[in-house]
Amino acid sequence: MTAAPSPATLIPDEVACADTLARLKAAREPRVVVVGNPNVGKTTLINALAGTNLKVGNWSGVTVEKREAHLNHEGRRVYLLDLPGAYSLSPHTPEELVTRTALLDEAPDVVLNVLDAGNLERNLYLTLQLMDYRLPVAVALNLVDEAREKGVQVDSRALSRLLGVPVVETIASRAQGTAGLLDSALGHATLGIGVRYPEAIELAVEALTARMVGVETLPPHAHRYLALTLLEGDPSVRGRLNATGHAALVQAADAQLGALAAQGLDPLIEIAEARYALAGDIARAAAPQAQARRTVTERLDALALHPWLGIPLFLALVLLVFRLTFTVAAPFVDLIGGPLQDTLTGWASAALAWFPLARDLVTGAIIPGVGTVLSFLPTLLVLYLAMSFLEDSGYMARAAFLMDRAMRSVGLDGRAFIPLILGFGCNVPAVYATRTLERRSDRLLVSMILPFMSCSARLPVYVVFAAALFPRQASLLVWAMYTLGMLVALAFAFVLRRTSYPAEGSGVLLELPPYRFPTARVLWKHAWRRTASFAKRARTTVLATVAGVWLLLAIPAVSGAQFATVAPQDSLFGRVSQAISPIFAPLGFGTWEATGALVPGFIAKEVVVGTLGQIYLGEQAARPTPLGLVDGIAQAGRATWDAVVSSVSAIPTILALPSLNADATQALNTPLATALSRAFTPASGLSYLVFVLLYTPCIATVGALAQEHGRRFAWTTVAYQLATAWIAAFLVYQIARAVL
Amino acid sequence: MPDVPLDAIAPGQTAHVVALDPAHPLRRRLMELGFVRGAPITVIRRAPLGDPVELRIGATLLALRAADLHLIRVRL
Repeated sequence: MTAAPSPATLIPDEVACADTLARLKAAREPRVVVVGNPNVGKTTLINALAGTNLKVGNWSGVTVEKREAHLNHEGRRVYLLDLPGAYSLSPHTPEELVTRTALLDEAPDVVLNVLDAGNLERNLYLTLQLMDYRLPVAVALNLVDEAREKGVQVDSRALSRLLGVPVVETIASRAQGTAGLLDSALGHATLGIGVRYPEAIELAVEALTARMVGVETLPPHAHRYLALTLLEGDPSVRGRLNATGHAALVQAADAQLGALAAQGLDPLIEIAEARYALAGDIARAAAPQAQARRTVTERLDALALHPWLGIPLFLALVLLVFRLTFTVAAPFVDLIGGPLQDTLTGWASAALAWFPLARDLVTGAIIPGVGTVLSFLPTLLVLYLAMSFLEDSGYMARAAFLMDRAMRSVGLDGRAFIPLILGFGCNVPAVYATRTLERRSDRLLVSMILPFMSCSARLPVYVVFAAALFPRQASLLVWAMYTLGMLVALAFAFVLRRTSYPAEGSGVLLELPPYRFPTARVLWKHAWRRTASFAKRARTTVLATVAGVWLLLAIPAVSGAQFATVAPQDSLFGRVSQAISPIFAPLGFGTWEATGALVPGFIAKEVVVGTLGQIYLGEQAARPTPLGLVDGIAQAGRATWDAVVSSVSAIPTILALPSLNADATQALNTPLATALSRAFTPASGLSYLVFVLLYTPCIATVGALAQEHGRRFAWTTVAYQLATAWIAAFLVYQIARAVL
Repeated sequence: MPDVPLDAIAPGQTAHVVALDPAHPLRRRLMELGFVRGAPITVIRRAPLGDPVELRIGATLLALRAADLHLIRVRL
């Protein structure tokens, strides 16, 4: 073992933490915050610790995820707060700002710092920065298995001695070591060693902390950190102190900075170098002969980032995801949209036989409307599983690396690619994800083009139309829609960059995290959470909208007709739709049915399918064959089994990549698809899809845009999207009519 | 040996950080990731479209654009 860092570089653990520990022992519910670099397996560790107790919410004001849990640890309640991944506590991203703010304001009882054993030096930078807070720290040395494979063997006892805090080795993915972690954190956390900065810096820190003593709004645990951060010139801390009535402190820091500059010192460099020098010493002492072997990541990257294979591989992977989504989920979509829905309709109409209005609402609107939307849950679950796999495995960052140059040709960078790809899932979180972009002009630009990225709520519309009109090219059509959305988005980026939002400066940094095989549990959690939020929309927004549409369909707009028995085209809904429909005639779908579905589609795109189901199937669904309870269960059971069999047997065909044609037997065969194949021609169907793709995604996205950038910005986006959608659909219809 | 900008280093070569241009847009972040005086940096590869460039610093892999590499002075 090499020599331990000389004691001169350390602050001895002289500050009595007995006081803090006593408080901790007395606290009814000690509060533990979990901090670590991105990609250190923190989420997996938290899941292993908290299991089902974990609650996910958003930080008020910022859309950064907040995970918290109340645990029962040996008879006492413990509050666990998982902070977002951060490389440092000088905030560059909203995630880091949240972490920094939590440490400043919440004064947790214990800071649990998660380290990647295979990347000790960089991870220790954050650890040493954490120790500038005078808060008890405990370390989880995670990913020790992965480090070992790389040839890095960390001596956790030595590490504990060198840092002066307890260190527990963990392999979170196998829940190893996690049991002892809380014991260690709650029983033995200490303030640790901390960094001794060069003398001139320490004197300046001392001068500044002296001014903070006794100021109630500056809690003692934060004094040293605040002083150092002021000396580093961190603008967010300056801003915050100025805003909270500590302008004198900021001025004092400026005076200190001036004096240091006169000595030729740049505190930013001095502080970073001191931390890195100590981090390096500790890392070398705790993990001697850390001669890293050629890792799995490097071998995989030789392929994934290959000069001419990399990009085709990326495009093939995206296509594979859509193919997988379509093929594996299709039988379940048929099941929910067909037999299960029929059974439910049969039961509902029998149960509500004496309440004709309620029966019509349930069987004619709610079951076909909400049911059609819900029938896409399997599709979304598969899509989200695949996307989570790409994200959690580390491939998404490679995609940004591969695409950066291409993105730059339209004036964006590879990082903007991430919110855009997230937009494929849902535009709403993607709008918030633009906050990770540092420059305001980038955030505005990306927010403006984001709604063109085809979110998953649009997928049901494509799937139904593909089944109805293009059964043999279904997955190709879906892929083409996503691609078109992206091309339109990029074209707008190109134009907007040159007109409204010129680029400011440069500065692109992407971390390429090591590849990891995501644990099934974490994958499932991510995918399930996203699917569940879609399902929630189905029972709130969609339910309310289909009920509203039903009501409008039930109100007669001609004299002599009666409520609820009026023909759809004579209802209020029908008349209004007829009035608007001429606008869409040049696009090939000037029927009131098609137009009518677009209006509630403004609220949420999945409602388009629900409304189409209501309009085309409402009457038919109102005359179901009543089924007994036993018959119904038997029928549903048989159909479920059939779906499982055809889903599993479809898997091998996914890999037949060169043929883009989905097998005709896999195509959806729902009553709605049949109805649509009669109502639309291939050209008008295509034009309809293009319109659905490009016009305003949903009211929630408009809300997110308004919240982020103001109402005016949001409505401008709505207006220019409607115009774009109309023009593009018009072109597609005119071309398709000539070609098809 | 004279200092050169990091974008002058060929893939596969390792160089040591001399200084970051104070005007570097990522100066603070790069320091936190380990771009401090003397730190060894290996240039791994260029992206298929020529830019950005993948680097290894310590056990971290990251990518920067050539324009940003240009503001980092290194010595072989």
